[in-house]
Amino acid sequence: MIWLTWRQHRAQILVTAGFLAVLGLLLLGSAVEAKLYVAEHAPPSCPAGTAYCGDLDVAVALGERYDAVYSLFGWMPLVLPALIGAFWGAPLLGREYERGTHRLAWTQAMPVRRWLAVKLAVLGGAVVAGGLALSAMVSLWRPVFRDGIDSTFGNIGVFNMVGVAPAAWWLFAFALGTAAGTLFRRTLPAMALTVAGVAVAMFTLVTLSDHYAEPARTVLTGTVVFDEPDARLVGATWLDPAGREVADPPSSVCPRRVDAGRSSRNAEAWQACLFGKGYRYAVSYHPPSRFWRFQWTEAAILTLAAAALGGLAVRRTLRRRA
Amino acid sequence: MTPVLETTGLGVRYGRTWALRDCSLAVPRGRVAALVGPNGAGKTTLMHTAVGLLKPSAGQVTVRGEVAFVAQDKPLYDGFTVAEMLTFGRRMNPRWDEEAARDRLGRLGIPLERRVGRLSGGQQAQVALTLALARRPALLVLDEPLANLDPLARHDVMRAVMAEVAAHELTVLLSSHVVSDLTDTCDWLIVLNGGRAQVSGDIEDLLDGHRVLTGPAGLAEGVAARTRVVAASGSGRQATLLVRDRPVLDPRWSDRRPGLDELVLAYLRSPGSAALPGPARQGVGA
Repeated sequence: MIWLTWRQHRAQILVTAGFLAVLGLLLLGSAVEAKLYVAEHAPPSCPAGTAYCGDLDVAVALGERYDAVYSLFGWMPLVLPALIGAFWGAPLLGREYERGTHRLAWTQAMPVRRWLAVKLAVLGGAVVAGGLALSAMVSLWRPVFRDGIDSTFGNIGVFNMVGVAPAAWWLFAFALGTAAGTLFRRTLPAMALTVAGVAVAMFTLVTLSDHYAEPARTVLTGTVVFDEPDARLVGATWLDPAGREVADPPSSVCPRRVDAGRSSRNAEAWQACLFGKGYRYAVSYHPPSRFWRFQWTEAAILTLAAAALGGLAVRRTLRRRA
Repeated sequence: MTPVLETTGLGVRYGRTWALRDCSLAVPRGRVAALVGPNGAGKTTLMHTAVGLLKPSAGQVTVRGEVAFVAQDKPLYDGFTVAEMLTFGRRMNPRWDEEAARDRLGRLGIPLERRVGRLSGGQQAQVALTLALARRPALLVLDEPLANLDPLARHDVMRAVMAEVAAHELTVLLSSHVVSDLTDTCDWLIVLNGGRAQVSGDIEDLLDGHRVLTGPAGLAEGVAARTRVVAASGSGRQATLLVRDRPVLDPRWSDRRPGLDELVLAYLRSPGSAALPGPARQGVGA
């Protein structure tokens, strides 16, 4: 049965493995080149824990290198799960129904239950392994450029490429594709539904992720700039001198004039006026220390959804209706 | 003898419509049973229920021993080579006669290394049949095995099935809507009509038990009153009756044994008639 799973799905397995290998080589090459560059240009006493050794030129050069590679795979958090769902999940049952081969596969001595269990276990396991491999490669590559600058928490795209998130996303997409295959009994519509479903799920979880924990809150005076580039901002509001939240301080307190062009002079003057009258600026955010809490929350949601979709696919397969 | 395939009160429902209803029949061991009926009669539904692809909504279906199935479009994995299809069969079935399968394909001249998708329709049908036979089943179910095949391939497939029946203890249920395909090969007949079993029995017994009477139309009513008429037809002054018992006849009537297609057609034209075993169902005249 494992032979059959391999034989039927080896194209997807080989293409995915090949893609990960190529990506791994690319990241390795980019990291080695960056290390060599830093070794050559960094000042002799390089403080530990920073990629750029406190040197601004090095920081700029590393930033350029990072952006060049990142632009190549910035689409990966969304596109890879969609592809996994469309090419690993949707054909698993959709193609059998479409070609009528389910009538061949499900009338052998091997019980359908076992046929399905092996396929789901082997392919689901491979998908999780692939997601973890992607995560490991990105997690090893990124600090070469970004150590001491930011972590993988603030940018939600990067966040979804490290930790357990890629594995959870891939598994979810695989289960979604499999379930879609039993709904349509055709590959192409199942693929379309899977791609749309992954996009909707990603949008939903990005929106939802603000609520994974109670946001931290800090109150600023004298400035509205929250100096923590790595945090995820949830919201901000003014507080009047009594400490009450006011979305829009009344213009009777400080008159506000519209800025012309690119200047922010009037806005800054208005803010300075408010601070002078005892107003404060409250920012709610998630600090980067919540990285794993957010990773596990997202993984739990996606794994539960994958289990529900997988259960739906199993139920529809085993109920034996025309 | 205990039948290999037996259904009692079998019903299968798709949504609100019954594809099969109160269907009771049996196929004894070693028989080659023809399942005939118009499109939509429930032939495929009955077969899918027998091989476990469908769950009965009512009643039950019993198969004694292993059942192998070849679906109507003879599904195979197009991208597999013939050898890989054999590996598929070997790995999916604990009982598997690899030697016989390779031997069969060799005799048919089907190359093992060729992709299934590049075989001719007749060759694909033979590969599908080989996969089913290599399992050494007690019951072989073939859904329209001859559809989409040229006359030569039809002949080859039927010959292969007959050879297998002769060599092994094999019971076959095959469906067709072309009755002439079945005349030489089948010895058991099941007629399905509108989701119900209308006829089930040994073909020779059925043909012996029916007569075709031809005579003057004016006397037809009188004759019909003394026998059980399955179907009546006529043109002008001539009447033709297919009946179950032979009555004492006026010399103006001629009388002969029906052909298989004649018998099948007569029953299909009169859905109210039935010829089923068991005292309760014996001969309901139209």
